[in-house]
Amino acid sequence: MSTIRLFLLASLLILAASVMAQEQTTSSAPAETKPAETQPTPDAKTATDAKPAADVKPATGKLPFKAALVLTPEFCETKIQPKGSVMTKEWGSFDVGKVACKELEPALKDVFSSLTRVAAPPAAEEAQLVLIPKITDVNATTATMAFSNRELVVMIEWTVKDSAGKTVWLETVQGSAKHHMGNLFTHKKNQELIVTDSVKAAATESASKMSASPELHKLAPGN
Amino acid sequence: MSIKTFCIISLLSLALAVYAADKYADYPVHPAASYAITTGNSGLTIGLEPLEDLKDQKTYFDTELSTKGFIPVFLVMENKSKDESFIFDKSAVTYGPVDSSAATPNLHSKIRDNTALGVLASLDTITAFVAMAKVNHASHIQANILKKELQSTTLSPAASAHGFFYVPVPKSGPREKIRLRIPVTRTGSQGSESLALDLIF
Repeated sequence: MSTIRLFLLASLLILAASVMAQEQTTSSAPAETKPAETQPTPDAKTATDAKPAADVKPATGKLPFKAALVLTPEFCETKIQPKGSVMTKEWGSFDVGKVACKELEPALKDVFSSLTRVAAPPAAEEAQLVLIPKITDVNATTATMAFSNRELVVMIEWTVKDSAGKTVWLETVQGSAKHHMGNLFTHKKNQELIVTDSVKAAATESASKMSASPELHKLAPGN
Repeated sequence: MSIKTFCIISLLSLALAVYAADKYADYPVHPAASYAITTGNSGLTIGLEPLEDLKDQKTYFDTELSTKGFIPVFLVMENKSKDESFIFDKSAVTYGPVDSSAATPNLHSKIRDNTALGVLASLDTITAFVAMAKVNHASHIQANILKKELQSTTLSPAASAHGFFYVPVPKSGPREKIRLRIPVTRTGSQGSESLALDLIF
């Protein structure tokens, strides 16, 4: 074997080892997928500060509101097409809206004493708070190899209005997850998994931020 | 292209792809009032620092954004009031030349497309494999730009937020002074009030 071949083989082995060390192996089980927040990367946090510890109230109980969660058909149909040219674009789409419409309601049901899902903003007498989500940004990294991890970041902006239609709370949550790119046979499934995990992370973050919001607590009857 | 050259380029591309991810430093955050450019009203203080230095842009974004027509502007917002909150909606932020009343909505989402253009435009001249690695690298840069962007938020009493805005500037030559207008809504026991804070850099 020539020196060049040996060098190339050794380089490939070293590269493969470094890839395996850096990135976890995947399986088809969703439980294997780790939200990016759990990984110690410097950029794993959101762009905005968390509230100071003294300011964050633990969710000791449900917020005493009759809330309406507005999930319009347009929101639920939000799909993000991967970017790239003919040569490099990944196939499929990230069905972020569909997953969000499945995950947001269960995540928020424990935050409010009453939560109703509606397809359009309700009349004033029907809800004390109206929760309107908007998918403001989605970004997917790509990976060269099937077993390389890639990351999907989903930004959801929440507008909360009172019964008079006044915005009382505005917040952006970030959900992200990492999963293997997948090969010809597993790519579609991996694409669904990374969307589901990213949106679930954003939904959990949404519930946490709403529960801890001093502005929403202040609006509660008796405060 | 010989097989040897192809293999070497492939290896280099793979190495680039593997090590591109998660290598972006966080920009240091200081108290809002400590920045050279600051403004404030009703307990809200905003500090601003434009990242003009290409070396700094390379450090925190792994790309020179100014040469692509954007200047990253770091903002720190602090609510020092005891009982009032400030609602910050990033879609309401505008910018424009300082000597003009014209104001343009913030085009935050365009920067990531533009950042990728330099890579995507050259795909015809290189192999698909190398192109994939470059696109992979660009996608990580785009993700980092998104994560570092200042997002809409409600600043509760004693809370702060920070992040970047990406303001379009000429790709070459000196730029005009820019006025960044940041509207916020103050909410509290006295009702709500709209405020606009200007920063010039």
